[in-house]
Amino acid sequence: MSSELNFTQTEFVVCTTANLIEENQAYWVAIGGPPLMAMLLARRTHAPKVFYVVEDGTVSPQPPTYVPFISGASGAAGYRALAWKDMNTMGFHCALGYYDYGVLDCLQVDMYGNINSSIIGGTYERPGRRFGGPGGANEIASMCWHTILMAEIEKRKYPKRVEFISSPGYLDGSPRARERAGLPANTGPYRVVSDKALFGFDEEMHRMKLLALAPWATVDEVLSNMGFEPLIAKPLGTMALPTDEQLTLLRSEIDPGGLVIAQGKWITYKSES
Amino acid sequence: MEELASGKGVFRMPDPDGHREYIRTHKSREMKSKVMTEKEAIEKFVSDGDYLGYDLNISKRGPTALFREVVRQRKKNLWLAVRFSGLDPALLIAGGCVSRIDIGWFMHGGTASRAIEQGIVKTTEWSNSAVVYRQLAGAMGLPFLPMRYLGGTDVFENSGAKLVKDPFTGQEIVLVPALNLDVALVHVYQCDEYGNARIFGAGLSPVETATCAKKLILSTEEIISNEEIRRNPQITTIPYYMVDAVVHLPFGCYPGAMPGLYGGDREHTMELMLADRMDKMDEYLQKWVYSVESHADMLEKRVGAKKLVDLMKVETIKEGYHA
Repeated sequence: MSSELNFTQTEFVVCTTANLIEENQAYWVAIGGPPLMAMLLARRTHAPKVFYVVEDGTVSPQPPTYVPFISGASGAAGYRALAWKDMNTMGFHCALGYYDYGVLDCLQVDMYGNINSSIIGGTYERPGRRFGGPGGANEIASMCWHTILMAEIEKRKYPKRVEFISSPGYLDGSPRARERAGLPANTGPYRVVSDKALFGFDEEMHRMKLLALAPWATVDEVLSNMGFEPLIAKPLGTMALPTDEQLTLLRSEIDPGGLVIAQGKWITYKSES
Repeated sequence: MEELASGKGVFRMPDPDGHREYIRTHKSREMKSKVMTEKEAIEKFVSDGDYLGYDLNISKRGPTALFREVVRQRKKNLWLAVRFSGLDPALLIAGGCVSRIDIGWFMHGGTASRAIEQGIVKTTEWSNSAVVYRQLAGAMGLPFLPMRYLGGTDVFENSGAKLVKDPFTGQEIVLVPALNLDVALVHVYQCDEYGNARIFGAGLSPVETATCAKKLILSTEEIISNEEIRRNPQITTIPYYMVDAVVHLPFGCYPGAMPGLYGGDREHTMELMLADRMDKMDEYLQKWVYSVESHADMLEKRVGAKKLVDLMKVETIKEGYHA
């Protein structure tokens, strides 16, 4: 019998990221959008007690549901937190090494995991297109032990080098590049989650490395939609499909309005079983 | 100390002694009532060309009624310290009030992006934390602080940061210059007439923002007695001697939310987002700012009691947001 599973690109990226989240690790999660959704999904499935903070100083709340950014303002976003602190305190705790993983959504990410969220085209003074800026991603990508990045596969989202580094990956990839720039030792990008592939980084060369493919994607399809050629792991893994439980939770509890998860193209996956 | 690299971004040179001198000569230590209208407060304490900062944003606990008064009084050439913002820079830029911004993060794709792309508003790149960390240095009376981020990036190149060799360990470390604002706007839950103030909920940086500023204007949901402040001194966030003006502005973050008291007005927020995207901020400002005399006048003529009651009703979670 064949079965059919339908989900959006964003749902797949959120579910894959949620699968990476582990109990007994501490996460600094970008305050809105897919990273927070992935955290809330992990909380409702395999990691009910996992600890996270967001930039405004909310320490491990238990929000009743996903709270989108524009209403992320309400009391719900900080409901049942362990503590209400402030942005500098989050920075201090991260500098001390308490936060294991940062989770960030990216406009552009390059072969060394550097992120651009500032400008595209033109000069810094007169940008072609001006985006929101580093936000909290610079401190998260600098000081968490590992960074998990989320970006859909598109040529313009995966350039060889980002034209402006808003938040650091492995910089130019050279040994100790981060330490020489004043960043804490032994930190850096860990995973990049996309709608077609999962990447890691080579420990020596610091280059992005293809680790696993979505069941419907091919290596050629991934490479032809990137601005650079990543290293390729052997053997290549296969990414897990979203489960019915994950999709039901996302659609009925976490983002019933579809503000985030309805973004991106639909994927239909047919399997024989 | 050996300097290894230096950002080329524009910043104001820190001047801790100049700041001390200002505090000595301009800040009264007298416990006197500072209660005034928003019109008086902005006229008196916001000057053209000021370096202006504020806590939180137009969506949450931001001093939005004070922003509208700044726009209404057509202040010019402000330098905004912007981090973790929403459409607050857009509001002030659309009002023609802003010539330069420090960027942590702003809501892009509308007024603020256009003004930067057209060269009308100049920028210096930082990050959310970098801006509040610079305010922390300013709040400590120091000229700079070392930090473990910004380095290696184009943000560093376009900021005022420096990379140096730490004279103690010999390791590379980034230094950022202190930021002492000319004026800070902070919206609080409660304060007394002198300015002893309480803020509840996750911060961002109310203390750093208030403390690093030369002039400080508080807007407050409620004015409480000094007696009440003295009965629970643990929760005083800002002491009176930093405060220049106390403005009683219930629903002072409208259309944003005041957690525990009222939710944000989604309908209004959509109207603002559309105006920002579609380049129709003139119409928006006409309706919500220029055609009304004050915050109270706006609430009465443009919002109405029913909407305000509804906004209070939707904010069902109240734990922790009161003394």
